[in-house]
Amino acid sequence: MRDLKYLKYFEDLLQQANNELIGKAKADGKVCVAYTCENVPEPLLNLDRAVSVRLSAPNTGSLDIATYYMTNLLCEPSRALLERAIEGGFNFADCVITPDGCTMMNRAVENMELLKTMGKDNPNFFHQYMEIAFKNTENDVNLAVLQCTNHILKPLHEKYGIDISDASIRKAVEDHNRLCRLVRELGEFRKEAKPRITGYEFHVFCLATYLCPKYLVEDKLAETIEEVRNREPDDKLWRARVLLVGSEVDDSGLIKLIEEQGAFVCCDRFCFGSYPGRTEIVLNDTEDALTQVCRHYITNCQCPRMMSMDKVYGRKQYVADLAKEYGADGVIYQQVKFCDPWAYERTLGSAMLQNDFGYPVLSVDRPYNVSSSVGQMRTRVQAFVESIEIKSIQKGGRA
Amino acid sequence: MKTVNKVVNPVKRAGEQSPAGIYDEKLKVRKRREWRGVKDTFYDYTRWLYLVSVLAKFIAVPRNIKGFFRYRWMMSYLFVMHGMDKFTIGLRDEALRITHTSFNFVIADVTQAIANCFRGDRRVGNDKAYSDACVVTDENSMVTFMMGFNTDEVHTILREVPTMFASNIFHQFNVMHYLDIAQQYGIPGDVCPMPEAEAGISIEDDFCVLGSCAVQNNTTCDGSLMGNGIIAKRLEREYGIPTFQLATPLRHKEPDVLEYAAEEIKKAIAFVEEHTGAKWNWDTYFTAAKRVNDATRCRIAQMEINSTPYPQFFGAAFSLYNDTNYMGNSGRNADFVTIDHKLLELAEQGYQAKRMYAKEYRHRCIVWGVQPQYVIDMLYWMVQCWGVVPLTDMLSVINTDMIAEEDTPENREQAYRDMAMLNMEMIMRNHTHGGYKVLLDDLWDLCEKMNADIVMMWEHMSCKALTGMHGMFEEQARERGIHIMWVSHDLCDPRVFTRQAIRDQVNSYMRTVMREEPLDPGLEIIPDNEAY
Amino acid sequence: MSKIGKFLLKVLLRIVLLALGFFVVTFTIYIFNLDMKATAMLEPFFEKWYDKLERKQYI
Repeated sequence: MRDLKYLKYFEDLLQQANNELIGKAKADGKVCVAYTCENVPEPLLNLDRAVSVRLSAPNTGSLDIATYYMTNLLCEPSRALLERAIEGGFNFADCVITPDGCTMMNRAVENMELLKTMGKDNPNFFHQYMEIAFKNTENDVNLAVLQCTNHILKPLHEKYGIDISDASIRKAVEDHNRLCRLVRELGEFRKEAKPRITGYEFHVFCLATYLCPKYLVEDKLAETIEEVRNREPDDKLWRARVLLVGSEVDDSGLIKLIEEQGAFVCCDRFCFGSYPGRTEIVLNDTEDALTQVCRHYITNCQCPRMMSMDKVYGRKQYVADLAKEYGADGVIYQQVKFCDPWAYERTLGSAMLQNDFGYPVLSVDRPYNVSSSVGQMRTRVQAFVESIEIKSIQKGGRA
Repeated sequence: MKTVNKVVNPVKRAGEQSPAGIYDEKLKVRKRREWRGVKDTFYDYTRWLYLVSVLAKFIAVPRNIKGFFRYRWMMSYLFVMHGMDKFTIGLRDEALRITHTSFNFVIADVTQAIANCFRGDRRVGNDKAYSDACVVTDENSMVTFMMGFNTDEVHTILREVPTMFASNIFHQFNVMHYLDIAQQYGIPGDVCPMPEAEAGISIEDDFCVLGSCAVQNNTTCDGSLMGNGIIAKRLEREYGIPTFQLATPLRHKEPDVLEYAAEEIKKAIAFVEEHTGAKWNWDTYFTAAKRVNDATRCRIAQMEINSTPYPQFFGAAFSLYNDTNYMGNSGRNADFVTIDHKLLELAEQGYQAKRMYAKEYRHRCIVWGVQPQYVIDMLYWMVQCWGVVPLTDMLSVINTDMIAEEDTPENREQAYRDMAMLNMEMIMRNHTHGGYKVLLDDLWDLCEKMNADIVMMWEHMSCKALTGMHGMFEEQARERGIHIMWVSHDLCDPRVFTRQAIRDQVNSYMRTVMREEPLDPGLEIIPDNEAY
Repeated sequence: MSKIGKFLLKVLLRIVLLALGFFVVTFTIYIFNLDMKATAMLEPFFEKWYDKLERKQYI
């Protein structure tokens, strides 16, 4: 297929935490709200002149200093973020809002605070930590509303004068939904038998919507959709279609590696992927917007730390539904090494998807930066693709 | 660096001077029991007899024998006496009596818990009426939500305590089997081995199956929360036991989580009422609340004694007794009150008589982090080998606030908040979660208050909440002139760090950093790596 | 000494002897840790027993 016009541009954007568009947003007078977890309601970080930027540490190399502070027993993303913060890579941030979601990420941000890695020249800079919901109940919605009020809205308003009115929230949700529609529309092309976009390409565009100020990527996304619509798909027949599930994938190289083995990543269900992260928020006019946003995040949350059994079972059903919708032949459950929540979710999920839903599953752990473990991962994926093919032959399908 | 005054024991220890002679590398148990002088040996012997009688009563019930042959973890309980011997190395006088009083009570409590499990267990006793009156909870659950249920009417079964937690104390290798099972099914080896072993037990189908319902909690860590899903799936889908997930906020010091937590407690109570048919009773609750406050006062008094040059009640017995009382009991059992007061009386008596655990106290130490289950005698060893006296451990630094204990309309609402507060400030998680201040600042405050010059940091390598602050501990200790001694372990997997590998970390620190020679050189290396 | 007195003395002596015997036996077991040594010998047999039991391993 022909290269997409903006692919290289977006790939370049993802090479740095403090990318060109963040600089542009700062020049536009925006307030950069840094965050680390998908459980923080994103529209609330994009109110008025606030823009959200998810912290990431692309091209991570040495983690020596972060490893001193957090030991080598914590997950690489948390250490990579701390390392990058110490290096000064997040100096653009005007505040950091972190939920006490997974312990390791929380500790990473606490270390950032204690080491005063950010906000040196900004007297308004602040750190906020939130409690986040564990279950899908109205009590959890109430908790989320209170937490968002106390740890997002109030500080943003008090420190930066951000408009936190109901109208402002509704406007942010509208913007958010517009972006979600674009991402999902782009992702829809992956459903085709001869897809006009690869999983890798989609991931680059999708990830950029988290790591860059949204208002600066929207037009390019819209243009890319048109480009893909008119794109001639390759005749290449993929050996298998797989759904990728698990921890955050900040390194698109992982998806490229999977696709190089002939497995088309037809759908993404991981932290900061398009499912469930790019699901539109439907608001009504009868209830305040904040409560509705919080309810949306709780209802749609697929985070493994949601502990009630409806959520535990629901997460697997969600994966199975996506696999069906996107025509996946198999599921890859992956986790970043040392990630506790996904370690257990991967174990139970892979067992249930296999036993209860009948999907072949590859269950793997991986480093944050896949380039440090290419050989191992390639072998695992190759074997998985072959096993899917063998099953397909046994069922009388194509070889 | 901060220094403390050395305290020398003017009294020569009765009986043999070093417990080093009781170990034999060819044996998996001790060569013999320690000679503590006539009086203390006789006392220890009578307590041994008492434990024999507890176990004899247990095994005299046929269904318990059946249970013994069904469950692999029961093998640990062959070694209860061996376990008890770990708690009493080198102890004399009040220290010996305090340790026996507290830990014998814990053993009796665990034995009763096993008997209760077997009574209701569908595979063993299958007493359906009893089982229907049981509520199964996690090993790490605060049982505050059961405080208002009459104990004759509803039985709280902390199923994982005898199965995993306590069994590992008596037999260091017994959990490995379950860890292997869990890892065979795909759970990685880098998660906390405690919830991992519990998941392994569930996968192996080696938990007793009983109860009308179960309540799970997220009180410790991500691993514990996640392991619950695996366990609950089997409980619900295979055994038809509905489970309730009692969500407990992590940022327990923030006032804006309290109402949520209180609401969760209400829901847990309603769930128990619905499935057991029992009704919450406020008289029962406030009676239990009085006992909780009483236990709190006793614990504060014990800590005050430990702040003096003559600490009395510390080590594993202190933390395990507090675990059992604070978390597993939560004021429901009146017997704990008697034991609390007896322990305090013994501690006061020991303090008056200036009793010491070793011939010298060179350093005053706060033990932070989580202790390994399989080296449960470590702190007694440390004081006797190196004269480093462990004033308290992190697990014993728990709530000091009184809860409402008078039955008034206002207090009934307050009671939910009190239960929620206790639940949120459960052992361990009250320091490992809730922001860095409760982990770091609380430690330095404690060092100041108890006049400690060393912190022994248990670095449980799978406890991400603790290891995630490694560098900060180092930096802040340096600023305060406090020695910090890192001791790594893997909680209940002796394959990662053997007992001697753990002790060697202290040996190295004391020799190379502190430039000291051991008080008892015979204890520096103990041939017990292969012992149960 | 009356008959009853003699009888009582005999009973008392027996009780003392029994108690002494009990003490000697149990104290010997206690001090030489014979109880734990015996159970340690049993442990391998139990291991084999538990290994043989069929269980429904399932996640």
